[in-house]
Amino acid sequence: MRLITHNMLSCNIKGVANGFPLLIEAGKVIEKEVDFNPDFLRHMFAKIEWKALVEGARSMGYAELPEDSPDATVLDSDESFLKKLHHALLELHLEEGALVCPETGRKFPVNKGIPNMLLHEDEV
Amino acid sequence: MKATLAPFSFTSLPYRTNSSFRSPSLLLKSPSSASLTTAARGSVALKATTSTEALREGIAEFYNETSGLWEEIWGDHMHHGFYDPDSSIQLSDSGHREAQIRMIEESLHFAGVTEERVKRVVDVGCGIGGSSRYLASKFGAECIGITLSPVQAKRANDLAAAQSLSKRVSFLVADALEQPFEDGKFDLVWSMESGEHMPDKAKFVKELVRVAAPGGRIIIVTWCHRNLSQGEETLQPWEQNLLDRICKTFYLPAWCSTDDYVNLLQSHSLQDIKCADWSENVAPFWPAVIRTALTWNGLWSLLLSGMKSIKGALTMPLMIKGYKKGVIKFGIITCQKPL
Repeated sequence: MRLITHNMLSCNIKGVANGFPLLIEAGKVIEKEVDFNPDFLRHMFAKIEWKALVEGARSMGYAELPEDSPDATVLDSDESFLKKLHHALLELHLEEGALVCPETGRKFPVNKGIPNMLLHEDEV
Repeated sequence: MKATLAPFSFTSLPYRTNSSFRSPSLLLKSPSSASLTTAARGSVALKATTSTEALREGIAEFYNETSGLWEEIWGDHMHHGFYDPDSSIQLSDSGHREAQIRMIEESLHFAGVTEERVKRVVDVGCGIGGSSRYLASKFGAECIGITLSPVQAKRANDLAAAQSLSKRVSFLVADALEQPFEDGKFDLVWSMESGEHMPDKAKFVKELVRVAAPGGRIIIVTWCHRNLSQGEETLQPWEQNLLDRICKTFYLPAWCSTDDYVNLLQSHSLQDIKCADWSENVAPFWPAVIRTALTWNGLWSLLLSGMKSIKGALTMPLMIKGYKKGVIKFGIITCQKPL
């Protein structure tokens, strides 16, 4: 699971008000190289929940992103920032581990890179 | 963990209903099935399998077992092809694959989906990701696919990687009735032949609407039963019987009609609700599937694939019968969420 996907996921247990972002328990993280595409990153930037990305990346062992979301102008001027964004968003893979609901602590397992977000009967 | 005696619930597959999600189902009561599970400290807890969980597991297992076989023979789109009504059924394999792509394109066209608007797509019941990868490529969009089958999700991810689409497309195991997304995330909410599996159509539609972004479009392409006529409360018993037999093999809960979907969407105050009956446009499909199953290669693969696949194959003539008799319809229902 990449952080670009994690950025979209939230805990949907009944009654949970703050299910986003999911905390990451990183069991096995691997890095897979992806072609650098600045246009794609610029296109995605506005939709990214920045804090979730920074915290997620840190959980996966990458702490190079700025705490605060930079101004969009940096996308055109700062290639080193774009490369860090690219790396965090697309190249870090959680192969084994769990996504944890910030409110209930419920763990959603991640196996072979695939999160299992199925709820139990008593959670719906 | 203390041992608890959970209340038993009755399982009821297939559901016998009066064919409308609106009325309470008349459940076919059968002895409850309970499974014994051993909790961590060795105490024994009796866990009743609810019908919804049983269905969910059944669907996952069905697709875990049969996906590989389907992909081998038909490729990565697990849906009907779209054909001109009087086209010859003697198409080549590539003709059928083109028809499956055409189904996607016709659906987008019917819904009025234009390229500029689509940045994020959710593929609800994504199979091995054929639609997801196609839509992501076509629109340059991000797409997430959800499926109950871990085998499908893995295969979908592997295919995305092989096609260099990994940065745009990802897959997870999740339930369409409890989508793990916040509200309003997706410009396009895509359900291509997955609605049949949803035991609670109202909840299914509610989730589709919830995750759609303001201005976003919802596309549901699904098998339905025929619309009921004025004054008709249920399908005829022989019609219901036919559907029940299909339900059992394909892990389908109650069928509903296109009208039922339209009514549900209307209850959510959605705009531009449209529907169409494409039954004539999919007529060549099942005979073609049966023909591929009856080749030596097909038969051998079926035997190797397991009982679920074999039973699935044996049920296919019932689908043809259902279409021919006008009981089964292939419908598209689309709408837009207001801004």
